[in-house]
Amino acid sequence: MAATVCNEDFTNLQLLLKAPSKDAVREVCVQSQRGLSRRLTESTAATLGISEAQAAQLVQSLHALSHYVLFYNLSSPEQILAIFPESFHSSLKNLITKILLENSATWRTEALSNQISLPQLKDLDWRVDMVTSSDSVSRMSVPTCLVQLKMVDPCSSAGSESVSSVTVELSRESLDTILDGLGRIRDQLSVVAGK
Amino acid sequence: MQLHFTKDVLPDSVGTDFQNLNKLNEQQFHRLIEILFQFLLEPKEAERFMQQLTEFAGEHGMSAGPLRNLMKSVLLVPQGALKKNLTGEQIKEDLLTLGTHPSPLGLRHYAALTRLAVGQTLMVNQLVDMEWKFGVTVGTSEIQKLGTVFLQLKLVVRKGNSTENVYMELTLPQFYNFLHEMERAKASMECFS
Repeated sequence: MAATVCNEDFTNLQLLLKAPSKDAVREVCVQSQRGLSRRLTESTAATLGISEAQAAQLVQSLHALSHYVLFYNLSSPEQILAIFPESFHSSLKNLITKILLENSATWRTEALSNQISLPQLKDLDWRVDMVTSSDSVSRMSVPTCLVQLKMVDPCSSAGSESVSSVTVELSRESLDTILDGLGRIRDQLSVVAGK
Repeated sequence: MQLHFTKDVLPDSVGTDFQNLNKLNEQQFHRLIEILFQFLLEPKEAERFMQQLTEFAGEHGMSAGPLRNLMKSVLLVPQGALKKNLTGEQIKEDLLTLGTHPSPLGLRHYAALTRLAVGQTLMVNQLVDMEWKFGVTVGTSEIQKLGTVFLQLKLVVRKGNSTENVYMELTLPQFYNFLHEMERAKASMECFS
């Protein structure tokens, strides 16, 4: 989580020089961004012909680097190249930089959609009914609105996203009040957007 | 007796009760109408209703028992009228048929009562309150600098006798979609007015 890259990380990164191809480097970089896994360590060790211990350290270092770039939103080659020490292998440095730049937009979008939040409103359905009678009034003509809100909790402990839904009934007055509130939000939003 | 507010055959005692209403002076009559409608507007307050009648009986030198029975008869009219959606005219006719004078005060109260009865119509998961806040996410543990707008809503939903809070978050596009859909729902409701 802490976004720092130290010298030891750069030493580990040089293990990538053992990669058989540029695509192999790319593959390891992209997979490492997601995090450590047994599978990744094993496949990296196999691809690069290094021990699993070394592979684990490499993955960790790549993870630190990609998160550093993401956290500080480094978006130009110069910014990323500047992180590397002087002594770092020049071509590898350029390749890693290129890979990081290629993927940073995707990673940013992913981070944004995975960030913690309250359950998100994903879907909204409504229906308007006409109430024509009740147990205390035999004839009437009163509109009422049912709204179903479907929410997805991105950080549920179940691991996968949990979907919950709630259906509420609104009288005409309630709907007017809601629209009033939403209108005020919209007005304030346009003030903020205008700044 | 042909009555609007009920198709049932009323026992004679009911007719007598209504006649007895005429024995009250205007002040007493008005007070009884107030007590009656207070009960009709808050039907759960049966104890209070009985207590008020007992007090009234004491104040005016009447027996509480017969007064209570009288009021039970009188209650039949507004309750029946409500169920059958009677107009003011029809109620007046019924009261005259029963041998008592329609009271303008009573009729005004009845109008308020019809509105209340409609308002008390069963609602499932009624939305009773909505609170919101919106702001800007300035950063997260993954991204140091952000400027995304979020909106958080708290809906208070009545479930039976208690309320439940539902919390949710909306992105800007979700908010505009929500607003748009609610406007469409309102337009649909207005078609029926």
